[in-house]
Amino acid sequence: MIETVPPAFIFMVGAIFLPILRERRLNQVFQLLIPAIAFIDLLYMDQGTYWSYQFLGYELIFGRVDKLSLCFGYIFVIIAFLGMAYALHMREVGQQVAAFLYIGSTLGVTFAGDLFTLFAFWEIMAISAVFLIWHQRTEAALNAGFRYIMVHIFGGCALLAGIIIHVVNTGSIHFGYIEYGGLASLLILLGFIISAAVPPFHAWLADAYPEATVTGAVFLSAFTTKSAVYVLARSFPGVEPLMWLGAIMAVYGVVYALMENDIRRVLAYHIISQVGYMVCGVGIGTEMGLNGSIAHAFCHILYKALLFMGTGAVIHVTGKRKITELQGRNLYKMMPICLSLYLIAGFSISGVPLFNGFISKNMVVAAAAEIHRVPVYLFLHLASIGTFLSTTLKLPYGTWFGKAPEGENLEEIEAEEPPLNMLIAMGLTAFLCIFTGLYPRVLYDILPYAVDYHPYAPSHVVVSMQLLLFTAAAFWLSIDKLGGEATISLDTDWFYRKPGMLLLWLFSHPLQGLRFGLQSLFTRMVTNAISLSKNPILVPEIAIRYIHLMVINRLYHALGLYEDKLDELRELQSRLAAMRKMTYDNDVYRRPIGLGVLLALTLLFVYGLIYFIVLR
Amino acid sequence: MARALRYIFLIGIGLSILVGLFLRPEHPHFWWERIPASEAIFGFLGCILLVVGCKFLGHRWLQRYEDYYSD
Repeated sequence: MIETVPPAFIFMVGAIFLPILRERRLNQVFQLLIPAIAFIDLLYMDQGTYWSYQFLGYELIFGRVDKLSLCFGYIFVIIAFLGMAYALHMREVGQQVAAFLYIGSTLGVTFAGDLFTLFAFWEIMAISAVFLIWHQRTEAALNAGFRYIMVHIFGGCALLAGIIIHVVNTGSIHFGYIEYGGLASLLILLGFIISAAVPPFHAWLADAYPEATVTGAVFLSAFTTKSAVYVLARSFPGVEPLMWLGAIMAVYGVVYALMENDIRRVLAYHIISQVGYMVCGVGIGTEMGLNGSIAHAFCHILYKALLFMGTGAVIHVTGKRKITELQGRNLYKMMPICLSLYLIAGFSISGVPLFNGFISKNMVVAAAAEIHRVPVYLFLHLASIGTFLSTTLKLPYGTWFGKAPEGENLEEIEAEEPPLNMLIAMGLTAFLCIFTGLYPRVLYDILPYAVDYHPYAPSHVVVSMQLLLFTAAAFWLSIDKLGGEATISLDTDWFYRKPGMLLLWLFSHPLQGLRFGLQSLFTRMVTNAISLSKNPILVPEIAIRYIHLMVINRLYHALGLYEDKLDELRELQSRLAAMRKMTYDNDVYRRPIGLGVLLALTLLFVYGLIYFIVLR
Repeated sequence: MARALRYIFLIGIGLSILVGLFLRPEHPHFWWERIPASEAIFGFLGCILLVVGCKFLGHRWLQRYEDYYSD
């Protein structure tokens, strides 16, 4: 029997050793070895509860292993391996360390059995993810990273507040089904749906992911939102608002994706759309709905990573990231393998039969149909059309083919297939997309509930093909309207970006002015106090002369005599200035005071003498 | 290549409609699933709706110049 360890710790310990291994080949082997060890570890983990520790009278559980957590654990470790392979050419060890911590904390969330452990890993996840964005080292990435971390800290605070209220109310920190209703559950739900990018809390995703590094975006696309789907499936199955939010989210993401010009931003909006299916399935809450959600999360991680790998390869090779910069350059001639692998991911996300999206997405749609929710069903269907239209038709057409804008002469760009490790990682991911599409049983067997769904029933296949082929026909007809447009789209991040700038202006102009005013006032007061303290005896006289000067100054102004009396005023002014310059001189004051004292003593003596003689 | 692709596409469209006429869904949940080629119609109209809708929303309201936030 092999002793297993919490998979989160494998990655976290790996993150410590990663910078120490200076030998490049050894380091590369190590990067692939750690996910492999974690996968073997997962295979040996039996269902049950492990690694519990006492902490402040509460029991922390690092390993709650059941079918739900295992299913997510498998796919997280698989994509960790593929993502590491994709990033193998990189020489930035900082980014790899961040990725390891990010993966480790996600696995920590997945196997957490209590709310405290969940929260701790949840925060490590947010903080390590932001370094994958900052490593891009552009100003846009820096700013987007700050917005990312602020949104996630807000979500984390909501989660923590909810957890504390929940623990106080129930006395238990067990992480499991949470009854919907009441402040605690609402706050916890808010924390979860911010990470799941549910509108209106979704803008961080489309804002930050396209600014991340080419390799970092692959990891980002897999972990944060899907771990949010996991915790939602664990705690809030069957919560009806989630079903509606999910359905709206699926269409919302698609609509924005169609307007976008940045190729990775298109894909980022499609994450929102696809996570909409999962959130919707969780909200439906039937066995079919939950199974569909989890299966779709599994498949989504694979094809979405592949989509990000494909577009990332284009950015890596050409340095360009917008459809308007890429269209008409005929990249398909220079990178056909990359294009083919991208299209496999495109077919998968669109739900083309034989690819993995087909076997998972349609489960969620079928779950909506089973409970006869017409609007939900139609929304999800419409989102399917939009997904196919923008990821598989519009985006590749604009990126690899497309027409150059009329009258514009594009300079030649040198492009070639991406490095071998990128292509191998993409090939393996594409293989898994097709493999799970062809043998859905492999996936269905690890789902939490028994699956009674036959994706390849002939009528399913035919209606899916009809839907997709006629979408393609409509695309064909409107192809001239679907070129890139060099714009950005307003989204809910407007609400913190524009007012944020107003706040910045408020600080940098009026408040800064007030600060300077106050500061100079105090400085003047201190300078005056210093100069006056040099000769304290003259202070009353200076004050009187100052007031006198001010008064007659005003008076002459008011009476219109200012011009005539200018000489007199100047004279007074110069005398005041001279007096202020006078320093304290002992001799000036000693004689009069000494004389006074002598006089007083003499008089006192005389008085005493008279008193003594007369009264005697 | 492009020409071949076009023929394959057209054949696919014809075939999917033709087979769809004979293969009815076993457990229809909604009434429109009984209409022949309903999914095809939905796909075509849905796609047009999305394109037109997005262009309208984008051009009238949401799409801005790229340096909108940096001004």
